[in-house]
Amino acid sequence: MNQFVYGGLAAIEPAERPNQRALAKRRTREKIIAAAKALFAERGYEGATIRDIAKAAGMSTGAVFASFTDKSDLFIDIAETEQAELYAEMRAAKEGLTGRPAILAMLDAAAERQLASLALVQAIMSALWTPGLGEKVRRRLDRRTAASLILGAVQDDLSQEEGGRCATLISDMIWDAYIATLRRAALDGLTLEPLRARIHEQTRTILAGLRRG
Amino acid sequence: MGVREARKEATRLRVLDAARQLFEEVGYEAATIREIARRAGVSVGSVFTGFPSKSHVLGEVIRCRLDELYADLERVTPHLRGSTADRCRSLFAVHYAFEFRRLRLFLAHISVAFEFREAPGYPVLGSNPRLRGMVLECLAAGVARGDVRPETDLELAVDLLVAAYAWNYRLAAAEGADVQDLTQLFDRQVGVIFEGLAPPG
Repeated sequence: MNQFVYGGLAAIEPAERPNQRALAKRRTREKIIAAAKALFAERGYEGATIRDIAKAAGMSTGAVFASFTDKSDLFIDIAETEQAELYAEMRAAKEGLTGRPAILAMLDAAAERQLASLALVQAIMSALWTPGLGEKVRRRLDRRTAASLILGAVQDDLSQEEGGRCATLISDMIWDAYIATLRRAALDGLTLEPLRARIHEQTRTILAGLRRG
Repeated sequence: MGVREARKEATRLRVLDAARQLFEEVGYEAATIREIARRAGVSVGSVFTGFPSKSHVLGEVIRCRLDELYADLERVTPHLRGSTADRCRSLFAVHYAFEFRRLRLFLAHISVAFEFREAPGYPVLGSNPRLRGMVLECLAAGVARGDVRPETDLELAVDLLVAAYAWNYRLAAAEGADVQDLTQLFDRQVGVIFEGLAPPG
């Protein structure tokens, strides 16, 4: 221990400072993200400005730009996190299940989560369709993540070779129908239970087609 | 119509015409109210008298085009043949062909339709009542014809078909898919949906 005392403090201090800096930086980032999420949800991508985000986070625009290249960078960061968290919840929901029960469990988990953060989800979906921004978002987001979970569960139920080609079609349809229904839920003010019932019914119809085919 | 109303209406139509052209030329994002006003030969204020925002202008441009689309469809509908699935395919094929003529505009519409908070009263994507009505009629006739299960929730089936139709456009946005790609994909999706709706046995 003694051998570290002399060089010890000198050795420890520089190591300590970067850690504190890193911690402070992370905290700043988190504050910015929290403020940005609220503003993007409230006003959409176009409506939210870096100035307003900085203000809400209690810092200067310069401080925001120190952590993020630009607004799209910040937005895509948030979108990536949302996607990763959605994926994790869906995967947890399918634990121990296969085939149709797995699919329904995953869609239930997705609906519950996304219904609670609908405005942000809308902002992200709108961005995906905007030229320019949409490309940037798509490049960084792996769109197939949630759909690939559904695909896995659809493939559980298939034994034929034909299933391979069909499975992608089916799983895409299930996920797309889910998103469309989620959007309608926002407009019609549906609560979770009726939303889940609709999603289940649609999924059953699509899967029934698969079974016959 | 009084002289004043007639003039207001004429202004409105000029604005819509100018907007449609500008949107097609430079895209919705890059288009400005100022440029629309300039091309229409009116003041920016006049534009805002008729439309609360740029997104409302887009909404109205889209809505007006629908008349053209439904004229196309009305020509086609009396001649629809085959199974209910095939008739549905034809209805939506007409839609794809129509929208692809002005794809950029339609994609802008989809994007704005998502931000419905920004533009309350904006035509909602996928809930176009005439489209839904036509598909509903087609399905109801299918029940009568016996290739759709009688106890089917028709509204839900319409939702599925319209969702599949609309969401395929992302492939046009993301991967440059053309009208044939989307129509072929949709044909397969219709197949799946109708297998699920078919009567047992």
